[in-house]
Amino acid sequence: MSAARGQASSVKERADLALNDEFLRKAVKFTTERLRSGKIQAAEQHGNWDDWRERGRQIRLHTIAHLDYYLNEFTNNARANGVHVHFAQTGAEAVQISLQIAQSKSAKSVVKSKSMVSEELHLNHALEGVGIEAIETDLGEYIIQLAGETPSHIIIPAIHKNRYQIADLLSKEAGEELAPDTTILAGFVRKKLREKFLEADIGMTGCNFAIAETGSMVLFENEGNARMVTTVPKTQITLMGMERIIPSWTDLEVMATLLPRSATGQKLTVYMSGITGPKRSADADGPEEMHIIIVDNGRSNQLGNPEFQELLNCIRCGACLNACPVYRHIGGHAYGGTYSGPIGAVLTPSLQSNVGEWDDIANASSLCGACYEACPVKIPLHDMLVFLRRRKVEAGYDNKMETIGMKGFAAVAGKSKRLITAIKLGQLGTKLVARDGGIRLKIGPLKGWNTYRVLPSLPSKSFRDQWDKLQQEVKQDTPAMDPAMKARMEAFQQKRQGGNGHG
Amino acid sequence: MAETHQELLQRLEAASKTRQQAFMDEIAGKLNRPRVLSKPVQPFRGAPEFWLDFNWTLEEKIEQFINNYKAAGGHAFHLSGLDEVRSFIVSKANEMSAAYIVRQDQEELASLALEEALPEASIRVWNSEEDVNWKAKAAEADFGIVRADYAAAYTGSVTVLSDKTKGRSVSLLPTVLFVLIPESRLKTRLGEILPDFDTMGRENLPAGIHFISGPSRSADIENDLTIGVHGPGVVYALIYKES
Repeated sequence: MSAARGQASSVKERADLALNDEFLRKAVKFTTERLRSGKIQAAEQHGNWDDWRERGRQIRLHTIAHLDYYLNEFTNNARANGVHVHFAQTGAEAVQISLQIAQSKSAKSVVKSKSMVSEELHLNHALEGVGIEAIETDLGEYIIQLAGETPSHIIIPAIHKNRYQIADLLSKEAGEELAPDTTILAGFVRKKLREKFLEADIGMTGCNFAIAETGSMVLFENEGNARMVTTVPKTQITLMGMERIIPSWTDLEVMATLLPRSATGQKLTVYMSGITGPKRSADADGPEEMHIIIVDNGRSNQLGNPEFQELLNCIRCGACLNACPVYRHIGGHAYGGTYSGPIGAVLTPSLQSNVGEWDDIANASSLCGACYEACPVKIPLHDMLVFLRRRKVEAGYDNKMETIGMKGFAAVAGKSKRLITAIKLGQLGTKLVARDGGIRLKIGPLKGWNTYRVLPSLPSKSFRDQWDKLQQEVKQDTPAMDPAMKARMEAFQQKRQGGNGHG
Repeated sequence: MAETHQELLQRLEAASKTRQQAFMDEIAGKLNRPRVLSKPVQPFRGAPEFWLDFNWTLEEKIEQFINNYKAAGGHAFHLSGLDEVRSFIVSKANEMSAAYIVRQDQEELASLALEEALPEASIRVWNSEEDVNWKAKAAEADFGIVRADYAAAYTGSVTVLSDKTKGRSVSLLPTVLFVLIPESRLKTRLGEILPDFDTMGRENLPAGIHFISGPSRSADIENDLTIGVHGPGVVYALIYKES
């Protein structure tokens, strides 16, 4: 199922595959429901949620508006802490820098904690290409890595796998049959990855927040694998999106209030770690050498763009996925990019700046605004989806048939005689193809609609045909009005017309 | 001759410094304004104002911390003093047959004199000898024992800071973790802890600052909560009265 999912080229084809997969649909629905209700409860319990959201938004807006200052400050402070800071304009450049460091260290293996940036870069392939084993250590990421797949949810990456499939994957790795029991499976992974942590040369992480004033990086996680990756190996490489900055530790309280509650409904993730430089010379653990690679990869294209700049405020909590009726129906793989759900529908085309190729995912939304309501930093994703659709039309990627169809409809419906003729022709045509009061033909323009639904046949008499008769019936059936009431209403109507109201 | 690692680092460093300038110029250019070179005034910093006066009494903090820590799957107790802490840990060590124990090199922990109470167990003090692979010692330990630098009741979190005497591995690699929390270190909010790191300033920060709010957990397999995925699966928070 997964191989086919990778090949399907449009969001509709990928969604078709997802919709055919009963387990995936149920799992996505169950998980998103659990996370969504957890978030709503946590927000209610905490109280004043909108004040906190507004505060989070203000801090992110301010930082992004002064990103050159804060990023520069972060860079200088991190360097002063002894971190090797690098800049990568593109994903390929970030990969290049990582490979140079890994190869120079003669690394045999790299243990990784979850990082969406590294998913953007397809770094694991690059490492394996030069003979370095890359091991994802987040339980869900490890499972999908063994399956050769990509994450389907930003917080729960293996949402689409059931425990029997997971037991099969892990049994292959173990070389023995493991029972499809969560505790046994997680126990195997703990033991297996313990060895990997202890023998790895390099630990690689993402970065939830970077603190400009002290040059520190902050990671949120529940399993402890990000702590492992930043404590045990001798070299640490962190991939950081250039917009991850906040000014201070004081500001971190707001992010620590918003992120875990929005992601999983937790008051705080089990681990929140702030790492400031490599180990001090007297310390007996922590990395001896630490690198931070600051990645642009399309992010800076949103800067100065009034419609999309707020995209950079995103704290990657996944709340918009859980709230989105479309995501909950089709799951993450249908979006086809690294990021799924409403944020992915906007972020993917924005980061890649090729609206043409990704145009269809902007259409995978009902524009209901649930994503905005859920967003802890109030990003107007539903507005951005409309902007994207407009961009697409302006760039000439609109649907030509749709445009012709709309023009045709305008021409026909604009003149009553033409409309009457068209309806008559339609009624004639219906007689030829309708069965049991419905049209099931899947050809031409009917294909899209009739694949999922049945088009009702046109009634033999249209509303227009019946209008004269209806009008007469109304006149006959209505008893004469009480003269007093009639006078009152006429007076009211006169007053309203005279008053130039909205009537 | 192949480039040494040191040479590579120098080359990357030089490239990075050039790129830094261009990177920042480009950001300013896209924002349609000149570079911002001095610290901008931050209109909003930290939590909303109403939050800053939120403080619980000591009794409330203890009760709330215990509730939150338990809700996250941890065990939390309020004990009368270090004597009770000692008997608690000793009884757990006997109950679970803990053979290997590693603890931070902290005064309160030394005063527990666990070596006398548990003569059978191997008890190591973090980084107290040279030429020992301390990460391996922590990895093989049944118990890790640390004293918290801070705790926050509202989120049920303990905070541990690393240094020569306090390993990051001690709160991470052992199977069972004991965190001692002196009452005076228990705060209400994260906002009473985090700003301290701004005050301390870059030069004085430790390499690792870790907030721990319960046992290691995951819900990645069918949403089924699993405890102890990578970090300790059993965690005890022991709040105690200081004498």
